[in-house]
Amino acid sequence: MKNLKFQVSNFKFSILHIALIVLMMFSVNAFAELTIKANHDHIKIDFFYHGSTVSVKGESDQGTDLIIKITSTEGNQVLRKKGKAAGFLWMNVGNMEFEHVPNLYTVHSTKKIGDILSPEEMDKYVLGYPALSRHAEITPASAGEEKTTWFNEFVKFKESSRLYASSTGKILTSANNGRQSYYILTDWPYQAPPGQYLVSVYAVKDKQVVEKAETTVLVEQVGIVKTLAGMAKNNAAFYGVISILAALAAGFGVGLIFRKGGGAH
Amino acid sequence: MNFMYLYLPVALTSINILIPVGLGLAVGLLSGLFGVGGGFLMTPLLIMFGIPSTVAAATDSNQIVAASTSGTFAHWKVGNVDFKMGLYLLIGGFAGGLFGVHAIKILKATGNADFTIKMTYVIMLGVVGTYMLIESLNSMKKKKTEEVKAVKDSGFTRFLKSLPFQTRFEKSGVTHSALLPIIFGTFVGVLAAIMGVGGGFLMVPVMVYILRMPMHVVVGTSLFQILFNCIEVTFLQAYTNHNVDFILAVLLLLGSTVGAQIGAVFGRKLKGEQLKVILAAIVLAVTVKIIFELTLTPSLLLSQGGGH
Repeated sequence: MKNLKFQVSNFKFSILHIALIVLMMFSVNAFAELTIKANHDHIKIDFFYHGSTVSVKGESDQGTDLIIKITSTEGNQVLRKKGKAAGFLWMNVGNMEFEHVPNLYTVHSTKKIGDILSPEEMDKYVLGYPALSRHAEITPASAGEEKTTWFNEFVKFKESSRLYASSTGKILTSANNGRQSYYILTDWPYQAPPGQYLVSVYAVKDKQVVEKAETTVLVEQVGIVKTLAGMAKNNAAFYGVISILAALAAGFGVGLIFRKGGGAH
Repeated sequence: MNFMYLYLPVALTSINILIPVGLGLAVGLLSGLFGVGGGFLMTPLLIMFGIPSTVAAATDSNQIVAASTSGTFAHWKVGNVDFKMGLYLLIGGFAGGLFGVHAIKILKATGNADFTIKMTYVIMLGVVGTYMLIESLNSMKKKKTEEVKAVKDSGFTRFLKSLPFQTRFEKSGVTHSALLPIIFGTFVGVLAAIMGVGGGFLMVPVMVYILRMPMHVVVGTSLFQILFNCIEVTFLQAYTNHNVDFILAVLLLLGSTVGAQIGAVFGRKLKGEQLKVILAAIVLAVTVKIIFELTLTPSLLLSQGGGH
């Protein structure tokens, strides 16, 4: 009898186990449904580098909206602030420190982010300029209208060097065997310094982020560019002397070529 | 891959090679003609083409080494470099540079650095440009003999003659106290360090109007002392700030070394007074540009830290 009880309880336990495993399998499947791949995930900066392109593609559930964010790690940036001195002269009047802001930040979405995502979700995943503005700390403009003004100036400055960008409707989507394929081709600015960049895709439904997938893009200096950049930092004295000697040699060299260039006055 | 563009490893940006080569050629031409380094033109132009301000200023010093070597060489071949005068000016300039750097530290501590620097820049450029323009236009009208007589009779000249350590500067054909180029070299050195420029546009008028050197010797001698100043600045910038971009410097000097030679050849064909009028016009044009920048609302209110 005792043995039978044990067998029944064992059977119940096994059923529970299987049910849990099946449930887990489904949930893993659900999470794995959003995929992402960057075609050009290792950008090499060589002598003739003038920027690149990165295409991001993958699959998502049908009917979901998508947001693709490419960003560098967050840090702080100190910039010079122009203002009016003596009431009418525009000049540098101090520094502004921007904290928790990435050097590169691009966001692309299938629809306007404010229309497809709640403000709480935007803030949670730092999606869109308004969310980044709330996430950033600006000194000495910590809040209110002043903070908004200077954040907008910050974005303008970053967009002028192509490090910040946002677009709506550039992600191409198509139905594919009951799934949704997406694709976007983005310009990779040559102004983006070497480093590791995070590419994230967010699937959005009912104003919520329902899934997220990530990949990375590595930007690295190679060849002469790497050698010179390394030398400038690590062998600065030698680098300085070489730069001076090269300039002197060039000056004398051209002087010799133009040997008959001079003449008495 | 586009072979028209090169990536600059220190500036961390890419540039069309025609831009720095063309800029180098134009500024090198001015350097060979007038004996100025051209930093007051080149650095803002490089910033305009996307080079960070700190790298622009440091790399410009490096290319001026090449342009002034080329220019000094061209002028030396025709006997237009007064090495003795250049050496005294250099001693003064070096001492002045040290004072100037300290002056900037004090200004920064008081929080008025940018205002003082900009104002010094505009006032000096404006005063020097206007004075040179008026003086050279006037003297173009006068006969040379009258001018020499007027100079000899002035109280200022008598005062200069009364100073100790009178020395003959053969190349320039003038006799002055050795203290004079050292004192004025120091004065220009202080201002140049405060303004963050080489100071050629200040040194040239000092040599012409105070030291009374012939214009063509002024150009060669100015280039000689600029060469040594820029060697020092390039080394310090490379060693302490890591801001010299070798590739950018090479592209700039490809143009500037050739430009300096062409400038020296052109200079031969112009009279001293004509050279002064053109230099005055350029200095005044730069002054007007800076006044516009100061009074018109800028498109961007934020900029990268550092630089001039």
